[in-house]
Amino acid sequence: MIKLENVTKAYSPEVIAVRDASFDVPKGEFVFLVGPSGSGKSTLLRLIAKQENPERGNIWVAGRRINDLPGSKVPYLRRNMGNVFQDYKLLPNKTVFENVAFALEVIGRPKHVIRQQVPAVLELVGLAGKQDRFPDQLSGGEQQRVSIARAFVNRPLILLADEPTGNLDPGTSEGIMRLLDRINKTGTTVVMATHDQRIVNMMRRRVIQLDRGTIVRDQARGVYE
Amino acid sequence: MLNRIGYVLRETWASLRRNFTLTLAAIITAAISLFLGGFFLLVQYGVSNALVQLRGGVEVIVFLRPDVTADQQQAIEQVLTDSPQVVEEFTFVDKEQAYAEFRQLLSGSPGLVDALPPDQITPSYRIVPATDDTAVVDAFARQVATIDGVYEVKSAKEIIEILRRVSSVARAVTLALSVALLVAAVILIWNTIRTAMVSRRREIEIMKLVGATNWFIRVPFLIEGILQGLLGSLLAWIGLATTNWLWTNRVPLTDLDIDALRATSAQFNWVVLLVFVVGGIVGGVSSAFAATRYLDV
Repeated sequence: MIKLENVTKAYSPEVIAVRDASFDVPKGEFVFLVGPSGSGKSTLLRLIAKQENPERGNIWVAGRRINDLPGSKVPYLRRNMGNVFQDYKLLPNKTVFENVAFALEVIGRPKHVIRQQVPAVLELVGLAGKQDRFPDQLSGGEQQRVSIARAFVNRPLILLADEPTGNLDPGTSEGIMRLLDRINKTGTTVVMATHDQRIVNMMRRRVIQLDRGTIVRDQARGVYE
Repeated sequence: MLNRIGYVLRETWASLRRNFTLTLAAIITAAISLFLGGFFLLVQYGVSNALVQLRGGVEVIVFLRPDVTADQQQAIEQVLTDSPQVVEEFTFVDKEQAYAEFRQLLSGSPGLVDALPPDQITPSYRIVPATDDTAVVDAFARQVATIDGVYEVKSAKEIIEILRRVSSVARAVTLALSVALLVAAVILIWNTIRTAMVSRRREIEIMKLVGATNWFIRVPFLIEGILQGLLGSLLAWIGLATTNWLWTNRVPLTDLDIDALRATSAQFNWVVLLVFVVGGIVGGVSSAFAATRYLDV
């Protein structure tokens, strides 16, 4: 589903964010990218979403090499992936329903599809009945669930999560992880960057560890260390 | 599709309201610029219409002395006949005809007419020049003025020259102002759109992440820019129509013998069309620049 081959990304000649990274994520896998802040986890996610372009190496997503994908095709690549962030990135002036519906609206989905899919995904993330609340009326965990609903409402092949539990307490984080696990079980490939040791150790999934831009460990059913 | 149109209209309207003051400034600047541009064209048309009328009429008048002899008159006519390259045709206006014209012209002031006895009126030759070259006509007029029996040679060229000079200054000023303001309008519309995009950068970021196409993101901003340009055109149109009406109906051009100094209604409609086209293009181009430049917010 996702394949990187000797990928190097440098923001300047001195600042090398990712160095010679190679890995292959099959469809339906759950992968943790771990490592301290600045080790290149977020850059890897941004490379996969083509928010950044690598200096060297090749990247394939869903069987397609995205290195020289023209800008006009990038939106269609992104419709295959959902993005979840540490700061949720919700629109404060829209309700829960509108925030999720927005993702379908702006890719031209018809109204009847929106009316059917948004409540279904809100049910899945456990927010049924809160669809008319505004983000500031929700707890952090609930806001992250809205953001996951928005990322998943279009049923993407891939879910990219950048520190989704970074702002949450341990109990709430566990709930979010159970949700991501459920989404993964529907066949969605999940790549999650985190430095939350407890979560990684609890889940026991594949772990790719980064240190100053270099992959130092790639282990199935790994722990944080 | 309907859903999409609804989305675009809602976003455009919300954005116009959000940046009301900036938008208003942009629209007013565009309106003044387009008004001046349209005004420039109307003056251009008016002046060229007036020039056509003046050229078609008598341009050189040779006034004779009241006591001119028949021999002198013969000599003058001979000169006029012998200069076909300058004189296309000429007519003689005798004392009685001239006096009748004079009475008609001053019919509103009978006292003035009575003050001038008929024998003080000078007969004249009215000449239609064969050439537009004012230098040639001028030289000819000076030559005729030296012939015995000629009192004075007047050329309508003077009025044309004055008209030309005044209008060319007026036109240069309006054109320069119009262009300067058009540049200001472009910058203002560009700035409004940029501000609108910056204030919505979170939405744009999310739209890009969930795979909205760049066109989908841009279109509301493009429409907003075009709308600003067209609203400017609308105001300019109202201004031009008012000005044109006042000029046609409230300024007594006929008394000044320059009743052609105005644009025809076909010319006016053409100017209005141009004002709308330019307004739309200015709005579209400025917002397209802003939307492309600031899409990566």
